[in-house]
Amino acid sequence: MTALQNRPAAVEIGEEAPSVSGMRLFRDVVASEWMKLRTIRSTYGFVLGAVVVAVFGMLALFFLIQSFDQATPAEQANYEVAEPTVVVMPFVMFFISCIGGMLITSEFTSGSIGPGLLAIPQRWILLAGKGAVAASVGLVSGFLFSLLATIGAMAMLGDRPAPLNPWPAWTDAIPIVLTAGVVVLVASLVALGFGALLRSTAGALLTMGGLIMVAPVFAHFLPTTWQLRVGSVLLPNLIPQLAGVGNPYLLSQVGAAAVLALYLLLALGAGAVTFRRRDAA
Amino acid sequence: MIVVEELTKRYGPTLALDRLSFEVRPGVVTGFLGPNGAGKSTTLRIILGLHHPTSGRATIDNRRYDRIRRPMHEVGAVLDTDAAHPGRSAFHHLACLARSNGIGKARVGAVLDQVGLANVAHKRVGGFSLGMRQRLGIAGALLGDPAVVLLDEPVNGLDAAGIRWIRSTLRSLAAEGRTVLLSSHLMSEMALTVDHVLVVGQGRLLESASVAEIRERFERDVLVRSPRADDLTRILTGLGATVTVGPGGEVAVAGMDASAIGDAAAAASIAIHELTPRSATLEDVYLDMTSKAAEYRATKERTERP
Repeated sequence: MTALQNRPAAVEIGEEAPSVSGMRLFRDVVASEWMKLRTIRSTYGFVLGAVVVAVFGMLALFFLIQSFDQATPAEQANYEVAEPTVVVMPFVMFFISCIGGMLITSEFTSGSIGPGLLAIPQRWILLAGKGAVAASVGLVSGFLFSLLATIGAMAMLGDRPAPLNPWPAWTDAIPIVLTAGVVVLVASLVALGFGALLRSTAGALLTMGGLIMVAPVFAHFLPTTWQLRVGSVLLPNLIPQLAGVGNPYLLSQVGAAAVLALYLLLALGAGAVTFRRRDAA
Repeated sequence: MIVVEELTKRYGPTLALDRLSFEVRPGVVTGFLGPNGAGKSTTLRIILGLHHPTSGRATIDNRRYDRIRRPMHEVGAVLDTDAAHPGRSAFHHLACLARSNGIGKARVGAVLDQVGLANVAHKRVGGFSLGMRQRLGIAGALLGDPAVVLLDEPVNGLDAAGIRWIRSTLRSLAAEGRTVLLSSHLMSEMALTVDHVLVVGQGRLLESASVAEIRERFERDVLVRSPRADDLTRILTGLGATVTVGPGGEVAVAGMDASAIGDAAAAASIAIHELTPRSATLEDVYLDMTSKAAEYRATKERTERP
C-alpha cells in the first residue's frame, strides 16, 4: 500500500490563502451550499412530498367543485372558496421549508458541519450562504407551486361563479401567486433558523409542522375572536393578507409584512446567534 | 507556526483546558499526546475555531483561524471520521468543500487519487469502511494543498493496514515540508511518527520535548548482580557512578552504561551474574507523567474543597 502518490500541487505549499473579497467569498459559499443541496436525496424527497400534497390538494378542489355542481343554489351561496392557498399551499410550504431546515440540520446530524466550518469558519457568511439558498428555493418553489395550482384551479373552475370561484378575472390571481412565493421564502428561512437553533432535523421539522399545520387546527377550536387573531398571524394565512385579497383575517398588507418580518427576525435571529456562539462539531 | 496561549476552556463545571500554552514549530511533525479526556480534541477544535475558548487564544501564523478567508489553502484538518453526509458521494462531499474555497473539480479528482479512493469516488460515503472514511478526511484536508495539517487521533479504530497507511502518509506530508500536528493517546504510535512531543494531562501541558530528549532524560540505570557486590560497588563508585544496593543484594548503577560496568568488573576479576540495562519505555514515561498530573489535580481539588 502506498501513501499519497503523485502529489499534484494546487498551489505552492505554504502559500497564503488567496485574498478574496467578502462578496466573492459569499458567492462561493452560495455555490457550495447549492451543490450540497443538489447532492443529497432528501432534497428530492421533500420536493416529491410537496408534489404529492399538491396533487392531493388539487383532488380536494376537484371534489369540492363537483359537489358544488350538485348543490342547490341556496347551498352554493354558502360554499367555501376553491382557493389553492387554503388546500395546497400550507402543505407545500411545510415540505419546501423542510429543505431550508435540512440545509443545516443534515450537517449537524451527519457531522459534516465540522468540515463545513473548517472550510468557511466565518459563521455569519456560512449561514448567509445557506440562507440565500433556502430563500431562493422557497421563493421559486412557492411561486411555481402556487402558479401551477392556481392555473389548475382556474381550469377546473371554468366560469363557475363566486363564492366558489375566487377570481372574477385571471389577473386577480396574480397578487396571491406572488405572495405565496414570498411567504414560502420566509417559511424556508424560519426553518433554517429553527434548524440552526435546534440542530436536529426532527426538531426543526416538528416545529415547522406545528407552526404551519397543527397551529391552524388548534386555532380553529378557539373562540371566534381569538380564532381570527391567532389565525391572522399563522404563516399560511399571511399569503392572502399580504396580497390584500379577500380573506376573513385581521391584518392589512403592511401588517402582514410586519408579521412576516417578525417571524424572520425571531427564528433566523435566534438561530444565527446560537450558531455563532455555540461550540460546533 | 501554531501558537496557543493560556488557553482555558470550561464545559459547565468541567475544566477541560487549564491555561494551556505551547507552540508548534513549522516544518516538523508534532505529536499532541495525552490520555483520553486530557483536552487534546478540545485544543484542536479551539485552534480551528470550532469551539470558543473560555479565555486565552490560539493562532495560526498570527491569525485566528476564523479570520482566514479560504482557510483550506493554508490549513487542513481531520477531526472526525464521521464527518461526511452518508448519502453524498465521496466526490461530491469533497467538491462541495472545494467549491466553497474556490478550488476546482480537477483538484478533487487528484486528491481522491492521492489517497487511493479514485475507484470509489462516486460511491456514497455511508457504505465506506472506517479506513476509507479516514482517507476521505485526509483527502479533504489536502484539497487546498495546505502548509499546516492537523489530525485528531488519526489511527483510532484502524486496522494494521490502515495504521501503516496513516504513518506513511504522515511521513510523506512532513517530507513535503508541511507542519503536522497530530493528537494521539498512544505514546508508542508517536514514537514512530513524530519529531516533537507535547504531552498534556488534565488540560495542562506536562512536557514539550523531542522524542530523543525524552528517551535520554528517562534512561534509568543498570541492574547488576554479583557475588562480590561490595567490591564492585566500591570500584564503580570510584569511577563516578551512583550505586544503590537493593534489599536482595542487587546493585542499581546509574551514570555508567552496561559495557563500562562489564569492563570494570572484568578488570577487577569480579564475576557478574546479571547485567541488565533498565530504561523506561516511552510508554512508561508517558504514563508516569500523566498519572502525576492526575494526582496533582486530585490533591489540588481536595485542598480547594472546603
